[in-house]
Amino acid sequence: MSAHTHVEGQLPHEPEKATLEGRNKILGFWLFLGGETVLFGTLFSVYLALRGQVLDGPTPNELFSLPLTALATLILLTSSLTSVFAIHAMHKLDNKALIKWLIITVVLGIAFLVLEIYEFSHYLHLGHGFTTSAFSSAFYTLVGFHGAHVALGIVWISLIIRQLMKQGLNTVNAPKVYVAGMYWHFIDVVWVFIFTVVYLMGKVV
Amino acid sequence: MSNNHTTTEENKRPHRIEGPKKHVIAFVFSLVLTMIAFAAVMGGEINKDFIYIILIGTAILQVFVQMAFWMHMKDRGHQYAIIGILAGVVVAFTCVIMAQYWVWW
Repeated sequence: MSAHTHVEGQLPHEPEKATLEGRNKILGFWLFLGGETVLFGTLFSVYLALRGQVLDGPTPNELFSLPLTALATLILLTSSLTSVFAIHAMHKLDNKALIKWLIITVVLGIAFLVLEIYEFSHYLHLGHGFTTSAFSSAFYTLVGFHGAHVALGIVWISLIIRQLMKQGLNTVNAPKVYVAGMYWHFIDVVWVFIFTVVYLMGKVV
Repeated sequence: MSNNHTTTEENKRPHRIEGPKKHVIAFVFSLVLTMIAFAAVMGGEINKDFIYIILIGTAILQVFVQMAFWMHMKDRGHQYAIIGILAGVVVAFTCVIMAQYWVWW
């Protein structure tokens, strides 16, 4: 019902930028993403320095399976597209479509996470634990940190969906939706480097 | 849903709503770049350094596509955002170079 009152034109075209608080939130989030870039940059540099130190454990080439990585990549890339559709729906002030696309994004995120948990438990069976070698520690820290970001994103976007269902779209929650969308794209961007540097480069012998 | 530039109400707005078409094009572009990267590795029998160049090249290109289109960085009013993220990228890049060339020197 609340979705209908907003379509009548109460909200401006870009509700996330309608208030100073919203604009500041978006700028602050960009600075946060700069900090996140540094975090992942350090984790990548550790991984790059240690990926050859396998000790008695399995090597990256023995471990990784590219079809699984390709599937995970496809899922996350598609979820990035659905989250941009959500922002598009928000700009059209269509709360129903916004909620629909956010739910699809969350479901795809959960699918990605399930795949990653399966992957990690499979590696554990192959004798690739966190303390097996410097390579395994660096691998689990880097990919695990990314997985934790996905998990946080799922919880965060789910809470936003709940708010949108209860309150409808307004100038208070619109910046939250926009910023969560940016976060989700950032996760996807980090994954681009993970599948390139960790999985694909691990397969190049 | 696809043609959202037709109504007169939207034409009067200061800047138009972007259609999902652009996002789908960015998606297809990302998908093609990903497939090139996977194919380069799965194809085998190519020079190792050449594969590395393809991998890094497609990754950086894909990040540019996604940031420009999906994170709206090509839109106006993003100067401070670009400075913020670029500062992070510079530090991150320095870390990676350090690890690559100094640690096992």
